[in-house]
Amino acid sequence: MDMNKETEVRDDFFIYEVFSQRSVSSSFVHQFSLLAPNKEVALAMARENFLRRETCFNIWVVKRDDIYGLSPEERPFLERLDNKSYRETRGYGDLQARWRHHREQYEEKQKHAESGS
Amino acid sequence: MQTQMERSDLTENEKMEAFLAKIDRGGKIEADDWMPDDYRNQLIKLISMHGISEIMGALPEKEWVPKAPTLRRKLAIMAKVQDEMGHGQLLLRVAEDLLAPLGKTREDLMNDLFAKRLKFHNVFHMEAPTWADAGVIGWLVDGAAIITQSMSLDTSYAPYARALHRICAEEKFHAQHGESIVLELAEGTEEQRQMLQEAITRWWPSLLMFFGPPENGTITSNQSANMRYKIRTQTNEELRQVFLKKYLPRIFHLGFTVPDETIHFDEEKDQWVYQQPDWEQFKQIVKGNGPRSAHRLNLRETSYEETKWVRDAIMSYGRHVG
Repeated sequence: MDMNKETEVRDDFFIYEVFSQRSVSSSFVHQFSLLAPNKEVALAMARENFLRRETCFNIWVVKRDDIYGLSPEERPFLERLDNKSYRETRGYGDLQARWRHHREQYEEKQKHAESGS
Repeated sequence: MQTQMERSDLTENEKMEAFLAKIDRGGKIEADDWMPDDYRNQLIKLISMHGISEIMGALPEKEWVPKAPTLRRKLAIMAKVQDEMGHGQLLLRVAEDLLAPLGKTREDLMNDLFAKRLKFHNVFHMEAPTWADAGVIGWLVDGAAIITQSMSLDTSYAPYARALHRICAEEKFHAQHGESIVLELAEGTEEQRQMLQEAITRWWPSLLMFFGPPENGTITSNQSANMRYKIRTQTNEELRQVFLKKYLPRIFHLGFTVPDETIHFDEEKDQWVYQQPDWEQFKQIVKGNGPRSAHRLNLRETSYEETKWVRDAIMSYGRHVG
């Protein structure tokens, strides 16, 4: 689908997507979009429109035209297959029990050695 | 945003079935997803009306910015007016993305407003003659708005849901701003209490009308279509009952009355029984024939024209440094 059409609402206004960062240690988060004739006005409006109360460390504005993304038909392919446990910590849930088993066996041996001497 | 070409091997019927199945299982629709024309049109009608109402709603309160009784009140009501304009900006953006495939823009919405083709909420056609009106608008009009908007937080149209999440958080401040003004007057002198009582009496029919006519009323409404599309989840009357249950006791606790001598709570039906407002009058008001309709539209139009030079100046700057 050609989304360029959406952006050409007026040939002198553009849609900008707004991202902001709450603090130096947080990631940029998408806020919303706005309509502006250029990036300077977009940046000023971003603050007025979306950040009147929240603390904010930094703001980005990006022309929507410059974002390349997935079409609605492609998005379902992002759904994760349920066979990735080898990539995740939950795929290794048996480790603690096994470590405990070895510690207990060791402690048992130690106890017998002590009572034997 | 750019994406690859759309698959077009599905028939319209198959697309419609997939769309309904998706919203039935709680799925959300994005601006670039396929949607039935009827769904798009319902959304455009609802969201452009909501967006324009936010902007027109700033006007009765704006009148009170220069006349607010203290500096703190002035700052608070200015912040509220600014929030309402911000909400208008958010919602107009959502409406614009829906209008884009039809070749329409924000300017078309403004022109529709000036030509009275695009309606805005009945409450913003009314007068706000005293400071108590500013309080009642924040307390009860914003209170009513929170009830309708909270219902739509789970709407099937994702961009509208995201806008409403931002809006509802700020509306809570607006309601508290109104409550604070109302409590100050309610705890004040006899004159202040009388001013507040008059404002409540004046706003009562408009507040009942705010939620729209009941389903069996004489005005055809799009409620059932909107509910099938999961754009909304409750009927006008259900929302009005939520409002009455929340606010009528508070009005009574402060020792005030509403202009309805037969109003009472039916325990068995678990609902308030009230006298219907004049729905014919409602029809006239939203058509643009309310007490302040012409004045407010004129304000909006004048402001749009008088700030044209600012937009032109920005354009000319943009072209030079672009």
